Amino acid sequence: MKYFGKKFITLIMTLFIVSVAAFIAFQIIPGDVVTSILGTESTPEREAQLRAELGLDQPPVQRYFSWMGGVLQGDLGVSYRYSKNMNEMMPVAELIGDKLPVTLWLAAISLVLIIVLSIPLGVLWARSKSKLLDVLMGIGTQTAMAVPSFFLGILVTYFFGIFLRWFTPGGYVSYHTDFWRFLGYLLFPAISIAIPKIAMTARFLRNSMMTEMDADYVRTAYSKGCSKRRVMYRHVLRNAMMPVVTFLGMIIAEIIAGSIVVEQVFGLPGVGRLLISSVSTRDFPVVQILILYITFVVIFVYFLVDILYRVIDPRISSK
Amino acid sequence: MIKIENLSVAFEETLAVNQLNLEIFDGEILGIVGESGSGKSVTALSVMGLLSSEATIKGGSIRMGEDWLIKDGKAQDKERLRKAQGNRMSMVFQEPMTSLNPTQKVGGQVDEVLLLHTKMEAQERYDKVLEAFKSVGLKNVEKVYDSYPHQLSGGMRQRVMIAMAIILKPELLIADEPTTALDVRVQNQIIQVLRNINKEQKTSMLFITHDLNLARRICNRIAVMKDGKLVEIGPTEEVFGNPKEPYTRKLIEAVPSRVKEKEDAPECTEEVSVNILEVRDLNIYYHEGSNSLFGQKKKRCVVENATFTLEKGETLGLVGESGCGKTSLCKAILGMNKLVEGEVKHFSTRPQMVFQDPYSSLNPAKTIGWLLQEPLRAAGKLDPACKMTDADMKAAAYDMLQKIGMPEKYFNRWPSQLSGGQRQRISIGQALITRPGLVIADEPVSALDVTIQAQIMELMQKLQEELQLSYLFISHDINVIYKMSDRIMVMKDGKIVEIGDKEVLFTNPKEEYTRLLFAES
Repeated sequence: MKYFGKKFITLIMTLFIVSVAAFIAFQIIPGDVVTSILGTESTPEREAQLRAELGLDQPPVQRYFSWMGGVLQGDLGVSYRYSKNMNEMMPVAELIGDKLPVTLWLAAISLVLIIVLSIPLGVLWARSKSKLLDVLMGIGTQTAMAVPSFFLGILVTYFFGIFLRWFTPGGYVSYHTDFWRFLGYLLFPAISIAIPKIAMTARFLRNSMMTEMDADYVRTAYSKGCSKRRVMYRHVLRNAMMPVVTFLGMIIAEIIAGSIVVEQVFGLPGVGRLLISSVSTRDFPVVQILILYITFVVIFVYFLVDILYRVIDPRISSK
Repeated sequence: MIKIENLSVAFEETLAVNQLNLEIFDGEILGIVGESGSGKSVTALSVMGLLSSEATIKGGSIRMGEDWLIKDGKAQDKERLRKAQGNRMSMVFQEPMTSLNPTQKVGGQVDEVLLLHTKMEAQERYDKVLEAFKSVGLKNVEKVYDSYPHQLSGGMRQRVMIAMAIILKPELLIADEPTTALDVRVQNQIIQVLRNINKEQKTSMLFITHDLNLARRICNRIAVMKDGKLVEIGPTEEVFGNPKEPYTRKLIEAVPSRVKEKEDAPECTEEVSVNILEVRDLNIYYHEGSNSLFGQKKKRCVVENATFTLEKGETLGLVGESGCGKTSLCKAILGMNKLVEGEVKHFSTRPQMVFQDPYSSLNPAKTIGWLLQEPLRAAGKLDPACKMTDADMKAAAYDMLQKIGMPEKYFNRWPSQLSGGQRQRISIGQALITRPGLVIADEPVSALDVTIQAQIMELMQKLQEELQLSYLFISHDINVIYKMSDRIMVMKDGKIVEIGDKEVLFTNPKEEYTRLLFAES
């Protein structure tokens, strides 16, 4: 219980620091939202009026706390750029509400693909005695690691979309209409995100297993009369997974970043495009909320990894 | 029972075992002794069929009863070998800390042997594992069954390993340095367990060790190996009492033994004694990590009320089990520990230290000459008054090479080109080059072979006389302590149990703990 309390405090502190950093960043970077909204129609009076409307005439510290206070009460603020209609501002919650699930599902599918494919690949690689397979895997993973996701996305679109016609490039079905078809459209973007990470993880697992194979307890297992297969699966795999779990935790943030890029390539309505356009138009309320959200997800996944780590390694929990 | 004929095993092109002939009889304990690299472990692994993939069997045969394990240089097929492993023959390894799988409960790990070789039901297997645990002297067996290796002490883990090895009552048990990594007292207990198994189950044993005293205590017959070859084999008392080969004689003479020491009684040249170190009411603490985020850190006392003195030219031996505070005490004397109360008074220049592991304590990227000069450079930086010119430092390093018995040509060599004994000489040279009055030696010979051990101890004694050094000498090997020390200090749980003249302590220990520690070693 103490452990969860500690984790919770860490989560709160991190979110606080990230929110302050995100807030400060937009005070510092050049560009003014008011002039950018008004454009050529800008006059000093209209600027001052808009500034007051948006609350920008108040000092930054006060603005931070009124923003944070709103967020804590569930009011995520309103977008500077988008409006619902002529008289109403667009709430940030409504703006991202539809888009966030797309990005998160994309990241989740990628992660599942990585775990499901890289572990068997790594084990197979570590077990095989074949020199040829070793060389092929070496070259294959090296290549896959070197290709960036967006380029893989283009290749995947061409091959599966245009050549094999397994999906319509640029097509998309909302998860409200048909959840399974929605997942189907996310599969190929997820593959583009996952391929380099699968290569990295498989390689990592293989090396970890090779190191573990030299451990003393492996010799003990052989002395009991275990077969190589049994030694690999019953003894080595779990020990070799420990560094891999840490590694998987570390690439989760990368997966989310990767999904933002890949959304552009596949034309998915995730938060990626919104985030990029909001940054360039200085739409702070949207960007700040997105950053907080992504931070929260990443920390939460780290927390899951931490728990998984405790399940795998009994030495940690007793310390 | 086991017959090894003309066995040769090679790593790349060097022969680790060379034309070895050896027989293990029913119910006996055969000891193989020899220095590291003599091929004793490789022999054992060949019998068990556990040679690593870098090793190739060049020729020869191993027969177990009527079955061939290796015939004419060809190993039996793996399937049949696995039936024998853990069942007809089993092995206990040196490192109980790492020989068990850290992520599985020990009960399950022992259970696996039954799972692989028998058709017993789960409940039956569970009972049998508990029974095996009891037979090796483990208590609270249900709790042990559900423990992970890290929750058990070294001695308990080694008992678990032995339970695993004997659970199917094998015909042959191979023990490869089973007690080397353990404390003296635990060592004795493990030896007792092995003896009982040999007596009660009539299990033949192949006992591999570099510790000749230990081999003498437990084995019926002794085989001496050198460079992969059998030097001599015979009944234990015959080999020790009347060694035929010069190498065996050399090996036995190198063993520090109390009996031998007494014959050439040390001549006492009493001078006016001068203290070089005074420790009074020393308490040493450690911060204990607190679990809660804002909780106060607790202080834990690791050494309590230590009071002792060390005279000039004297060697004070320090013994005690691991975790008793020996290292903490040394660190405090060197001033590396800040959380101390009490008084540590030095009457010489900064004390120096010699460490246990000569392989990792020398920087591999520097030459011997550079390493020897480094303490001088460091001293020069600390205190400009001690600054020496490059030529002077070089001369001092050459001088030190000669003192520690190394040829001058080693000045430009790298640590990787030296043997363990030579490296330990360099470590000693490094410690002595700043001319300290006091040297703290933390297990300086424990990682070395017997003959090298003897050379290093001789060197340390020679240098002590030449340079009027005082030693605080730590070792877990009672015989080494006896050979080196004038006085002995016994520590337990952070307290000094007893301190006194070595003869007095050995013949008439006041404390029960001291007696236990010295018994049988």
